[in-house]
Amino acid sequence: MTVSIIGASTTKFGELWGTSPRTLAHEAMDGALKDSGIVAGRIQALFVGNMLSGMLGGQEHLGAFFAEELGFSHAAAIKIEGACASGGLAIHAAVNGILSGQYETVAVLGVEKMTDHKPEDVATALMGAGSSQERASGCTFPGLYAILARAHMLKFGTTQEDMAAVAVKNHYHASLNPNAQFHRPITIEAVLKSHKVADPLTLLDCSPISDGAAALVLSVKHQASSVKIVASAVATDTLGLAQRASLTELQATKEAAMRAYKQAGIEAKDVDVAEVHDCFTIAEILALEDLGITKKGDAAGGIRRGEFTLGSAKRVVLNPSGGLKGCGHPIGATGVKQVVELVVQLRGMAGARQVAGARFGLAHNVGGSGATAVVHILKE
Amino acid sequence: MLSPVKLWRNQKNVGGMLGRTGKIISWTIVRVPPADFSDQAPYPVVLVEFDGGGRVTAQLVDWDTKHLSVGQKIITIVRRIIKPNTEGVIPYGIKVKPL
Repeated sequence: MTVSIIGASTTKFGELWGTSPRTLAHEAMDGALKDSGIVAGRIQALFVGNMLSGMLGGQEHLGAFFAEELGFSHAAAIKIEGACASGGLAIHAAVNGILSGQYETVAVLGVEKMTDHKPEDVATALMGAGSSQERASGCTFPGLYAILARAHMLKFGTTQEDMAAVAVKNHYHASLNPNAQFHRPITIEAVLKSHKVADPLTLLDCSPISDGAAALVLSVKHQASSVKIVASAVATDTLGLAQRASLTELQATKEAAMRAYKQAGIEAKDVDVAEVHDCFTIAEILALEDLGITKKGDAAGGIRRGEFTLGSAKRVVLNPSGGLKGCGHPIGATGVKQVVELVVQLRGMAGARQVAGARFGLAHNVGGSGATAVVHILKE
Repeated sequence: MLSPVKLWRNQKNVGGMLGRTGKIISWTIVRVPPADFSDQAPYPVVLVEFDGGGRVTAQLVDWDTKHLSVGQKIITIVRRIIKPNTEGVIPYGIKVKPL
């Protein structure tokens, strides 16, 4: 049995001051249902990916909350939380819900509303994804990835310019995506000159604070425009960086990728288009290496030479949506948006940012500083 | 957010962490801090490997720019983590200073 994605949609990502979480959810899910051609009454279960609604918004119980809002009356509904991997985990749970035989048609909603809150409150809430030791150190998520970045710079000679090239590529891709938060290409100089958030990472090395939602309809039944999920894998690691053997790789990504390639029966080189978790520029470099797309230490050079940019036709195209960096990063929505982008790409409907002839797509979603990794592989 | 009972429970572990020496293996300077740390920023956070093994992530105090380098020797000390909140309980914990 394989699981098919029969509907996929995302809202615009950005600072959406006038839009509530309810409205975001409606926009995304109405789009996904319309795309699938089925009515809300057919949805048997809803899986909601979200991290911060309780800590920031004071609203928990999101399963029932959104089942009511979306008109999935009496459907099973579950909120899934795994920090920035909440969206990917919600898809994983939905896939398993179908593979178990219990449900035939389910919906996935990823949603996050972040811009209602002060940046320091968002930074505090996000540190809920780290270890208690990291919270007591006063570290932030940019700080944790900065520690990873420095370790990578020391071991492999990675430079700030290398990291800036990730931001340049992803802002360029975002400029071709009408739903992205940012639409202006940037330069390496602009990244280096933007103010430092956590040395060596600058503001433009970091994904933004965003609002947004994305939704999928999954079914056991295949339709003409469906895309198949051929692998859904999750792996974990220690919450804190200090408890890990290596600072230059994310073991959870390596494990999840290994499991996913095995499920799909493919290798890294077979992937045509990938949406990877570039919460910070260094994270895309780590992702490329840990997913086995390049050798350790080789990712930065390839990105700088433009080998992973749209139109290069040399290798896999990385983050055609603009990634978390350029498209925006509403925490719970991100993992779902990655898969929506792959569906659009594999259907050949991505317009100006279409990856020509894409057959296999890979989505890589990370929670915390690498404590959770989710990898999905999709086939046209 | 700071529960006195939680502090009482966790602070029992602080003693055993004191006076340990080690070296910085990676570091950053946090310039956009979490809300409770606003009055301390900017401050370095370092990842330390202890002499004899084990690692910790901690804030570096009593520092100068010259101390921000891999290999810099440090020692663990007890410090106030953040300013006391309205409950009046002062959260103490481990920070590190250059040796």
